[in-house]
Amino acid sequence: MISDQPSLTASQLYHQAIMGTSRSRAPPKAPATPTQHAETSRHLPKNTFIIDNGAYMMKAGYASTLPPSEAVSACSQIPNTLVKTRDNKIVVGAQLSTVTDWNEAMFRRPVEKGYIVNWEAEREIWDQSFFEENAAGNQSSRIANPEDTTLILTEAPNAMPILQRHTDEMVMEEWGFGGYTRCLGPTLNAWNEIHSLFGDPLTKTQDALPADCLLVVDSGYSHTTVTPVYKGQALQRGIRRLDLGGKHLTNYLKEIVSMRQYNMVDEAYIMNEVKEAVCYVSNDFGGDLEKTWKANRKRQAAEDGIVLDYVLPDPNANKKGFIRPHDPLMHAKKKKGAVSGLSAEVLSEDVLVLGNERFTVPELLFTPGDIGMNSTGIPDMILQGLSALPPGLHSAFLANVLVVGGNALIPGFMQRLETELRQIASAECVVRVRRAEDPVHSAWLGGSRLASNQEELSKVAITRQEYQEYGSGWAGRRFAGIV
Amino acid sequence: MFRVELLQDKSAATPGWSYAPTRGFDPTQAMAPTLGRKRNIRDAGKGGDISSRQANAIARHISELDRENQRDVSIPVPVKQAKEAGARGTRAKTTSAVRRILQSQKTFRNHLDDEEAAIALGTGTVAANIPNPAKAHRVAAARRSSTPASTAGRKRSAAVATGVSTPAETDAETDVDEEERKPKLIKSEYDNDPLLKSYAPLMPSDRLMQRLLAEPPLSYNASRVKPPSSARPGRHFCCMCGYWGKIRCKSCHLRTCSLDCYKVHEDSRCGAFF
Repeated sequence: MISDQPSLTASQLYHQAIMGTSRSRAPPKAPATPTQHAETSRHLPKNTFIIDNGAYMMKAGYASTLPPSEAVSACSQIPNTLVKTRDNKIVVGAQLSTVTDWNEAMFRRPVEKGYIVNWEAEREIWDQSFFEENAAGNQSSRIANPEDTTLILTEAPNAMPILQRHTDEMVMEEWGFGGYTRCLGPTLNAWNEIHSLFGDPLTKTQDALPADCLLVVDSGYSHTTVTPVYKGQALQRGIRRLDLGGKHLTNYLKEIVSMRQYNMVDEAYIMNEVKEAVCYVSNDFGGDLEKTWKANRKRQAAEDGIVLDYVLPDPNANKKGFIRPHDPLMHAKKKKGAVSGLSAEVLSEDVLVLGNERFTVPELLFTPGDIGMNSTGIPDMILQGLSALPPGLHSAFLANVLVVGGNALIPGFMQRLETELRQIASAECVVRVRRAEDPVHSAWLGGSRLASNQEELSKVAITRQEYQEYGSGWAGRRFAGIV
Repeated sequence: MFRVELLQDKSAATPGWSYAPTRGFDPTQAMAPTLGRKRNIRDAGKGGDISSRQANAIARHISELDRENQRDVSIPVPVKQAKEAGARGTRAKTTSAVRRILQSQKTFRNHLDDEEAAIALGTGTVAANIPNPAKAHRVAAARRSSTPASTAGRKRSAAVATGVSTPAETDAETDVDEEERKPKLIKSEYDNDPLLKSYAPLMPSDRLMQRLLAEPPLSYNASRVKPPSSARPGRHFCCMCGYWGKIRCKSCHLRTCSLDCYKVHEDSRCGAFF
C-alpha cells in the first residue's frame, strides 16, 4: 500500500502556500485538502451547458436527458470564425448563415492547431453566440445566467499549460460560470452508449457510465488524434497526434486544382464544399489511379467512371455548386458556342473536372509520405499509441476503436482504416472499427450523458467559489487530476 | 601509376529528363533537413534522393497547407456599439488576468517555442519524452526488491509534486492477484492441455491502471506521431496530372508521368532548380 505520510506533507506545503498568498481569505481547516473541504459544502448548478469548441465548428447547447437522437436537437453548430467577405464586411460566428457570396472569403479562426489561442476573437464569437440577448444563433443555446450554469468545455489533447490557464481564467473571470470543467474532447465519447454500436450485449445499469476501454480516433479540422480512454479517462502516454486534418485536405485540393485547372487559391470555402462533395478514400489506390489516367479515361463509359464534374457556384445567379457525371465532350461543345445547341446557362458555367484528385487528397491521412511528410498514417499511429501501453490492454483497445470527427464522414474512410489496421495488428487480436452514429456531435452527446450523472460530474467539475478561493493554478491542477 | 582521364559527359546528349530509379527513399530525412556545413558529405553517403533543398521545399509546402488563407489578412474584431457595450454592464469588470489574455498577440508558434524552452531548461511541467516501458520495468523491479511498499509510495508522491512522469510498469504485482483477474470460464477437461493454452497477456492490475491514469500529459511535440518504422519507399507522383511520376526533370528534379506532361512542365513551371 502507498504510505500517506509524503502526500500529507505535500498537501500541508500546499496549504502553507495558499495561506501565504491570501491571508485575508478564510483558510480551510488545517488537515483537510482543498478538495475534501470543498466536497462538504459545494453546489454545482443543475443546468449544464456543453461547448465542444472545434476549430471549424463549435457544437454547443444545454444538456438534456433525452435519448441521443432527440438530444442532438438541443445542440447547435456555430462556425468558430470571423469572416471577411469580398465586400469587406466582417461577419461573426452564427451570422455566417446570412452570407451568400463565398467568393474570396477570408477567415480568422481563434482556435489554432486545435487549441484556443486568440481569446480576443474567441470572446467576440462566444459573446455573440451565447451571451447577447439578440444572439444570432439558436435561442435555445443562449446562456442567460452563467452564474447558474455549469460549463463543460472540451479541449484537444496535449494542450500547453499556459493555454489551459488562459482558458480557465477567461471562463471563470470573464463570464463567471457557476460550475466549470475542462476535459479532453475524445474522452467524452466514452460516455455515449457504444455497446449497441459494437454489437455487444447491453448492460443493465441505468446510470450513465463510461465505456471501459475505448480507443477514440478523432479526425478533425486541424489534426487527427488517437486517444486510449479507460473508464472515461485518457491514458496520457498513449495519445498520439498526426498534424493533418480537414484543413490540410482542403488546402491540398485547392492547390492541385489551382495548378491544373482554375486559380482557386482564395476560395477556401468553395473548395471545402467541393471536397465534401467529391472526395473519397480509395480502397484500391493503384487501380483507381490507373482508371483516372488520361490515356485510360477515354476507354471508359461515363457513368461508371471515377471522373466527376463539379459545377462551381455562381453567386450572381444565386446558384449553388453541384456535381454531375463527367461529360468528355462538354469542352468541345462549349468551344463551338451557341452552334452546339447548349443553353446560355450551360455555356456560362464554370466546371472543375475532378479525376484522381477525388482520392489522392484524403489519401494523405493514410500515407502522409505522399507530400513528403515524415509521419505514419492513421493505422500505424494507432499501433504507435498502443505500443506505449501495457500489452494486456492492446486487444481490449483494438476491439473497440471508435472514429469521430468530420473526416470520418469521407466515404471509404472506415473500410480503409479497418482493412489496414487488420493487416498490421497482431493476428490474435480482434479488430473492430466503428464510426460513431453522429461523428460530428459524438463528443457533445457524450458530454450531455455525463451531465445526466451529477455524481460523476461533480467529481471533475469545480465551482465558482472554489475557483475564487484557490485560483486558476489550482483549477489547472484539478483538471489535470493532480489535486 | 594510374592515368586519370576525363570521360565524356553522356548526360549532355540526353534530353532534359531521365528515368528515376527507385532508390531507397528514406522518409525520415524528409522533415529533418540535416543542417550544418558538412551536410553534403553526409548526404552523399546515404544515397537518398532528398537534398536539403528538397527537404526545405517539403517543409514549406506543409506549412502552406496549414494556412487558413492564402494571403495574410488582418480581420479585426468588430468594434462594439455603445449601446451593446452597455449590455455588458451587468457583467463584472474585467480582471487584470482577462485583460492580459485579451491583449496577448501571441500565436501558437510563440507559445510552443516558450514551452520548448521551458522543457529544455527542465522547468516544464510536462514530460518531454516517452519513458521506455522495458527500462522502467527493470527499475521498478529493482526498487521493489529492497523496500517494496514505502519506496513506491514515496516515489509516486514525489512524482506528483514535481510533475515528472513515473514509469509505471510493474509485473511483479501480477503474481499476487493473477488468480482473481483470470477470466472466469466454465471448467473443462481440456483446461490443462498445453496446445490449447492461451498466451494472451493479462489485463494490468487496477493499481497499475491508476498509475497510468495519473500520468501527466506528454508535451505537444512529444505526442506527435513518429516516422514509420519500416522504410517503405516513398511514392512519387506526376507534378502535372497526379499519375505515377516515372521520369524526373533534370533541372528541377520534379517528376512527371510522360513526355506530354514533361513538355507542359518544361514550358510552364520548370523554373526552380534544386
